[in-house]
Amino acid sequence: MGSVNRAARFKYSQISNLLFSGRSRGTISAEACFDSTSRRLISPCYHLGWSQNASFCSNSARHHGKDSSSIDLNQYPSDKIRNFSIIAHVDHGKSTLADRLLELTGTIKKGHGQPQYLDKLQVERERGITVKAQTATMFHTHNFLGSDTNFLLNLIDTPGHVDFSYEVSRSLAACQGALLVVDAAQGVQAQTVANFYLAFESNLTVIPVINKIDQPTADPDRVKEQLKSMFDLDPNDALLTSAKTGLGLEKVLPAVIERIPPPPGKCTSPLRMLLLDSYYDEYKGVICHVAVVDGSITKGDKISSAATGRSYEILDVGIMHPELTPTGILLTGQVGYIVTGMRSTKEARIGDTLHHSRSHVEPLPGFKAAKHMVFSGLYPADGSDFEALNHAIERLTCNDASVSVTKESSQALGMGFRCGFLGLLHMDVFHQRLEQEHEAHVISTVPTVPYIFEYSDGSKVIVQNPASLPSDPKHRLTACMEPTVIATIIMPSEYVGAVITLCSDRRGEQLEYSFIDSQRAFMKYRLPLREIVVDFYNELKSITSGYASFDYEEAEYQASDLVKLDILLNGQPVDAMATIVHRSKAPRVGRELVDKLKKFIDRQMFEITIQAAIGSKIIARETLSALRKNVLAKCYGGDVTRKRKLLEKQKEGKKRMKRVGSVDIPQEAFHELLKVG
Amino acid sequence: MPKLPFGSVLTSFPTITRPPGLFKSIKNTFEQTPQTVRQNATLTATITPPHKLPPASAYVHLPFCRKRCHYCDFPIIALGSSSAVDDDPRIVNYIQTLCREIKATPVESSANPPLETVFFGGGTPSLVPPKLVSLVLETLGSKFGLSSEAEISMEMDPGTFDRDQLREFLELGVNRVSLGVQAFQDDLLKACGRAHGVKEVYEAIDNLKACGVDNWSMDLISSLPHQTPEMWEESLRLTIQSEPTHVSVYDLQVEQGTKFGILYTPGEFPLPSEDLSAEFYRMASRMLGNAGYDHYEISSYCKSGYLCKHNYTYWKCEPFYGFGLGAASYVNGIRMSRPRKLKDFMHYVQSLENGVFNGEDGRFETSDLAMDAIMLALRTSRGLNLKTFGKAFGFTLVHSLCKVYQPYMESGHVVFLDDKGRSIEADEFSRLVSDDYKESDALAFLRLSDPDGFLLSNELISHAFSVIGS
Repeated sequence: MGSVNRAARFKYSQISNLLFSGRSRGTISAEACFDSTSRRLISPCYHLGWSQNASFCSNSARHHGKDSSSIDLNQYPSDKIRNFSIIAHVDHGKSTLADRLLELTGTIKKGHGQPQYLDKLQVERERGITVKAQTATMFHTHNFLGSDTNFLLNLIDTPGHVDFSYEVSRSLAACQGALLVVDAAQGVQAQTVANFYLAFESNLTVIPVINKIDQPTADPDRVKEQLKSMFDLDPNDALLTSAKTGLGLEKVLPAVIERIPPPPGKCTSPLRMLLLDSYYDEYKGVICHVAVVDGSITKGDKISSAATGRSYEILDVGIMHPELTPTGILLTGQVGYIVTGMRSTKEARIGDTLHHSRSHVEPLPGFKAAKHMVFSGLYPADGSDFEALNHAIERLTCNDASVSVTKESSQALGMGFRCGFLGLLHMDVFHQRLEQEHEAHVISTVPTVPYIFEYSDGSKVIVQNPASLPSDPKHRLTACMEPTVIATIIMPSEYVGAVITLCSDRRGEQLEYSFIDSQRAFMKYRLPLREIVVDFYNELKSITSGYASFDYEEAEYQASDLVKLDILLNGQPVDAMATIVHRSKAPRVGRELVDKLKKFIDRQMFEITIQAAIGSKIIARETLSALRKNVLAKCYGGDVTRKRKLLEKQKEGKKRMKRVGSVDIPQEAFHELLKVG
Repeated sequence: MPKLPFGSVLTSFPTITRPPGLFKSIKNTFEQTPQTVRQNATLTATITPPHKLPPASAYVHLPFCRKRCHYCDFPIIALGSSSAVDDDPRIVNYIQTLCREIKATPVESSANPPLETVFFGGGTPSLVPPKLVSLVLETLGSKFGLSSEAEISMEMDPGTFDRDQLREFLELGVNRVSLGVQAFQDDLLKACGRAHGVKEVYEAIDNLKACGVDNWSMDLISSLPHQTPEMWEESLRLTIQSEPTHVSVYDLQVEQGTKFGILYTPGEFPLPSEDLSAEFYRMASRMLGNAGYDHYEISSYCKSGYLCKHNYTYWKCEPFYGFGLGAASYVNGIRMSRPRKLKDFMHYVQSLENGVFNGEDGRFETSDLAMDAIMLALRTSRGLNLKTFGKAFGFTLVHSLCKVYQPYMESGHVVFLDDKGRSIEADEFSRLVSDDYKESDALAFLRLSDPDGFLLSNELISHAFSVIGS
């Protein structure tokens, strides 16, 4: 992820220089073509598009129907294949557009199948996001260069969020073009920018689609201007659509076929297959989404992984049309699935190159291991449920191998797990999936980032759990380092002041500040990752009435004055509540934590002191007075059962609490602490 | 906190088919410690657990009210203010159904003792015409027998009865009145939705005295909305001046689904704060104590010899019948609440008559018995008899209780007494509950202190529950 982003940043600064100095589109194309990291050059004739002078007729190839036996992939050599993805800021209409294209090509029946067809997880549907890559193969007849030709179109749906930028880069690596969907009213947003540069980085042909033009507030001309000024995209190339009403959709697939080049692989070369994503199926085991870059694959072939060296036999191979449809083969440029008898998705590394075991190939570029940016402790809400949580996490990591899991234990919370995530959204999604798909009830500790502490004896500690950092170290601390990010924020210009205040409050360093049009400002900040881990986005949204958009990419570590902040109840530290904060923030964070705890811990039979401390120095303190009254002095007649139920409820409540020393801490207190920045 | 695998080793058993003596053998299954000679010796003694006794008490629910008070979530039937009650068909029909229920109730043994207590609760029982109450008492008498010494209590509200009516009730045998006064301030009574004012309160008290009712209870509610310490002090003072033999002080519970539940949040204005509400409780304990009332149960006070025998059967875990809408009963170890809706109650009585109703599911857990015993006994100033409890449920459990309560004994919330009724000092207590604990004469009773322990009784009792497990 790192070098991809660094490359992107490098290019971004080049490009933004170009953009804001008003240089022409031709120059940018030239830049792209000269990019030394490129896997292939963009063919100018594809890039320019052929649609301007000819009128084509375009039809979905319905004759394929659902009968998989009639699909003969041999009819689709590379030049009749187009691989593309749809990229967009959240809620700009990516999933609806995908649904419409699937309907238009008869891949799914209109009105059948659920909306957001490709977003299969509950969490994806609820949040309107894509977490896992999906592919769908469509067939479409199009009058191409004067004759009706059948095309095979692969839509590769990618996650849109920065947490998954590595996964996105791998998905885009399998594409030659992308539909850049922009909401006609909202215009270019932070994720639009990030996604554009990811596509640009991968040398994709970008087809701008200005969507939701049926909205009363739609202003496609303004969006065209933004696309021109930000990305140097020709306003004439933009398609105007409403995925909701169907307006303009008929132009989308012709544009895909005419503007996007076919996949460039060689059918005569040995097999190289890019692993896009994988998921675990109860019956079939691990199913991998793959793109055949060179050569071809047939059921029964023996293949090997370049990353792990393991070998597998292809037990089943086919396309997603839109569900698993066996074809027995996949040819150069085609995208589909394989089943190999892998036991766990941990073996299926995203970005890995799969090849025939008998041949040696140069692995495809860009493979990297998952890098964990955010850590959090996960504990069973009910201490006795450790085994259940263990089981749930095992099952979920089966489907999401990018989470790192190690066992840890806490005095306050008992046995649990320290989990590493790609980013905040990834963490959130993992929590939600644990609860929704595996019915696990968890307490998670305040998310933290991997800090580096160096001591005078030369020892160096990477801290993933603040509790593990000694409050009184034996050796003098010589340096602490914390990870940073480069954040892109786009907002209406009236909110600039508030956003600058927020970013400097979060120890941000402004790198860029400009305007993308008369109403919208664009800023780049270097921010400590810790500062955006908790509550940054919510805060940003609230100070800008929801109009700001935000994205970030990983950047390097920086030296920082960090301290461990302990929370003590009646003098006893609560390990699960320890955090690492910047020294300047410690008094405020300490005060907030103490106040929150006072609010969420119920009064008990004894007085409780709540303190925040750095080492032995107390920086905030509150006292919770003893409970004064808890009695049922009511005439229930002989209704003893009702009385007892009330008391049993109280007992159950106690059972769900976590006990530190003599103090019972309700679960809500832990949940609430997550919200303290 | 030590935890016994108590719940897990207990068996549930059907009460009907339970052979005599099984209770004791079950006790053996959950005694964890090796038994001393002494303990073995106690096993041979005959113990009749309280729930095995035949019921000698009956609660009768008379649900009629003029209107529903704003805090009330009891099953009541509001009659409205205009109609005359004498021949109201709703009352007549209800009483008929009630009598059918009494008649259809199975009596296991012909050797049942006559009823020693009857309690007419409500609702507002004093709204029911005396001739109908008479019908109920006759039915009870012919079904179960009615001791000539029986305590027969009736809840009455100010403004619902005159002297003639009261005399009629007394002639029927009613010998104890529980007067629902609640407060001595018109504004508070109005805010509660009570159907009477302070004037009616004094009239009612005069009526009781004029008719020679010597055993009567004044029922009050503390922590009402807008109630100030001055008002509460006044209510307590006027109560003491009225010289009832018994005072019940209920602490307002804001129940879901009541008007108060919609309007108010406990501890928030206009309700008194938790601290003030605790102070109200202390004031009652102090003032009534000084006036010679014995605080014999969390919300009950009495002059010597006037405790409510009926209510005391509840605290002692003794069985009792229950009749009428929503009434609870405890027979053969099974606690059952009747339907709270009139229509459902009618169906219930029908099925009882048809012989198709046989208790809820006919099973109960021994751990339930233990929890009931603790919960109810700790409401009383007498407390939990550790010896009888130990004999019934095992001395390991007694030991666990002692351990759980040790910190609260030291903080003064819980008191342990020896067999002479003297409280045990902290250091002696630590010695007694050390790990080589033996059943000892020294530990006879466990009780909550007044008012500190009583005020936190829920908290303390739920600690005991956590030892028993579920």
